[in-house]
Amino acid sequence: MDRREFFEQVAAWSAGLCLATPVFNVAEILAAEEKPKQNPLLSVAKGKDYGALVEQVMKPLGGMGAFVHKGAKVVVKPNIGWNRKPEQAANTHPDVVKAIVRQCLDAGAKQVRVFDNPCYNTRICYQLSGIQAAVESIGDPRAKCVIHVPENFVPVKIQGGRSIKEFLFYRDAMPPECDCYINVPVAKHHSLAKLTLGLKNVMGVIGGNRGEIHQDIHQRIADLSLVIRPRLTIIDATRILTANGPSGGNLKDVKILDTLIASADTVAADAYATTLFGMKPEDLGATVAAAEFGLGQMDLSKVKIVKT
Amino acid sequence: MQFAVLVAFLWLFRHTEYSGAQEISPLGHLFFHLDPLAVLAPMISARQIIPPLLPAVFVVVLTMILGRFFCGWICPLGTLLDYFHRLIHPIARYIKISRVLTAPGNAAKYVILFAVLLAAVFAFPLVGWVDPFAILVRGLTFSVDPMLYRAAGTVEPLARWHLLPFGPTEYQWAWLSGAILLGVFALEFVGRRFWCRYLCPTGALLGLCAHRPLLRRVPPKVCKSCDTCSTICRMDALDPAAGFSPERCNLCMDCIKACPQGMVKFTWKGAKRQPRPVDLSRRGALVGLALGAAIPGAAAVARAAHPKQVDPRLLRPPGAADEKTFMNLCIRCGECMKVCPTNCLQPCVLESGVEGIFSPRVAPRYVYNESAGEYAPCCEYTCTLCGQVCPTGAIPRLDESDKHKHPIGKAYFDHGRCLPWAENTPCIRCEEMCPTPDKAIKIRKTFTIQGKDGRPVEIQRPYVDRDLCVGCGNCESTCPLKGQPGIRVYRTDAPDPGTECHGQQRRRRRHHHKEP
Repeated sequence: MDRREFFEQVAAWSAGLCLATPVFNVAEILAAEEKPKQNPLLSVAKGKDYGALVEQVMKPLGGMGAFVHKGAKVVVKPNIGWNRKPEQAANTHPDVVKAIVRQCLDAGAKQVRVFDNPCYNTRICYQLSGIQAAVESIGDPRAKCVIHVPENFVPVKIQGGRSIKEFLFYRDAMPPECDCYINVPVAKHHSLAKLTLGLKNVMGVIGGNRGEIHQDIHQRIADLSLVIRPRLTIIDATRILTANGPSGGNLKDVKILDTLIASADTVAADAYATTLFGMKPEDLGATVAAAEFGLGQMDLSKVKIVKT
Repeated sequence: MQFAVLVAFLWLFRHTEYSGAQEISPLGHLFFHLDPLAVLAPMISARQIIPPLLPAVFVVVLTMILGRFFCGWICPLGTLLDYFHRLIHPIARYIKISRVLTAPGNAAKYVILFAVLLAAVFAFPLVGWVDPFAILVRGLTFSVDPMLYRAAGTVEPLARWHLLPFGPTEYQWAWLSGAILLGVFALEFVGRRFWCRYLCPTGALLGLCAHRPLLRRVPPKVCKSCDTCSTICRMDALDPAAGFSPERCNLCMDCIKACPQGMVKFTWKGAKRQPRPVDLSRRGALVGLALGAAIPGAAAVARAAHPKQVDPRLLRPPGAADEKTFMNLCIRCGECMKVCPTNCLQPCVLESGVEGIFSPRVAPRYVYNESAGEYAPCCEYTCTLCGQVCPTGAIPRLDESDKHKHPIGKAYFDHGRCLPWAENTPCIRCEEMCPTPDKAIKIRKTFTIQGKDGRPVEIQRPYVDRDLCVGCGNCESTCPLKGQPGIRVYRTDAPDPGTECHGQQRRRRRHHHKEP
């Protein structure tokens, strides 16, 4: 073989390889097995004992064991974003968080980590919300309330993102550090987003200039939700913040409902929670955008609602 | 016992920070209350009694009885200098510093003391530059702690308690306070306890109180045949010719152990007349007084030549009185800046003039969180720690509801920058973050436009309800704009912004008058 022949061979092989490379045309945003059900199950429970209420709301869904497998690395993501006390309804109720963590431990989780990326000073938020004390009071070394570490925010490309294509996400909230993500937001008023519920709770596991999200908030929350797909969402509506959210502070804006909403479908949970504020699911741009992506079912007539 | 007090001081220092409770132990700033200069100087400057006075009076009375025990047993800076000297002694022995340098130093500490006190009479605070505790706390807070944190790497944050700083902190011009502290330690190479012997004004003050203590050293002279005690005395209080000086002696009692004859003791009975006069010379006193008049005088002249109103963007900690009183009460100790959980209290560089260096200000956009790509939050709504630790009351003790009745300042939107106003882009992050229960940022106007991709976009334009605003600065911190934020906090006693540019023009016009 001389040099010319060699080059012809290389060109031919390269062309062949390039043309033979399979090209994937992913028309659907989500692969078939990832798609949530068309008729998801939604459990709503009411009761005064918030600890017992968690068990009550999980029963129709098959208990926590249906979501937490033995040896699971669980992340329980409440809303600990604000320097407010439990009765002010700005953060998830500590009793609810404690009960969820306990149930995860009972279901055989290897570790349960509770954290958030608060809007105010982390220690103050963890303390005032009562959540750190609640998790520590369980006394199980597997359950820890941890402070986020700035180095652990990693850039993730958002496949199919319409408004943002990449953002910083907290590594410990995603596989492989986490194989069971439980989303535990508190239901609150929010001027820009109208309400902050399950989908918007993703704000606590992102880093970087979070203020950018607000410039197209509804679509961007849906985009972020393409990356963080909770296995289970439990919306804390034990008391809801009806005005001056998301920071609140005025007890007059707090309405006590003693309710928890649980579902594997975050969109459905949000759709239902919206009605507690006298609004319609389609009033929230984030819910609509997420449903358009196929992330869940927002038509409540198609949702199997079990009330206890 | 020295060690025990040092440990106590460092423990209190480490715990002067948010640790889960809204209240912090008053022990934290106890050391400042024991320091008579730190109490006396601001009282003179501000012309008011500073409670609690008692610990400092107690120290003064005990000094008159025992001698300068404070310097030997209590002062943590003195203890640290002693340990440092022990560390460097093998090297320091070989450094021969000319005696000329130390000779005129005897009266230097009085020069400093008198300068500080007279300047205080002229309401010009200098005490922060030379008070040993202020130097120590500032140096540790601004320079040592941030370096310690970063050196510790990623030790689990909740495990850092008690030994290491909890989180990363940074302070403007930290190098200056660090350099001053380093300078004090570096002087140990020149002579043992150099700072204490020749420079410390608190030591000078206590020395004056101690010149005729009831507790006396026997013998009051140095034995001609042996001068062991004189060589080992860390305060240079024993001179073979002049004898024992109670004004310098800090009661370390090393000479008792060192005396080969075992003759030395400290007793209530002894020679009444002390043979050694105090270091305070007439010349020293005059120089001190002259400086104490000249420095404020020079400042007054400078102010007359270039009159400046208080910078409207200079925000003081919550509850601080008018600027004049605040500047006189503040001893630049750094305690408030140490305890602030968000690190939003920063030492002034020149924002409040040269006389304001090291005094605290609320800085909404100083601490930048690299990984977050945003500024750290500003004054915490529920926190009242700075007022709890301020030893002189420059920042008053206020409970949470009182704190909100004393706004730090008021926020104003810049419609040329704020996204919804200037760019028709949705934002209102400031409104989201506003911590007042009835939000001080409200929506004035909401309308819908067509976005770039054809989707409708809702624009909400915010405004500040200044009756509700407490000036916490969180809106300014959180504004996602780079550079000048779209909302800014201004002092409450400043001229109305919106006319801020007019104010600047006024100043510029004055300069024109000055030109020949």
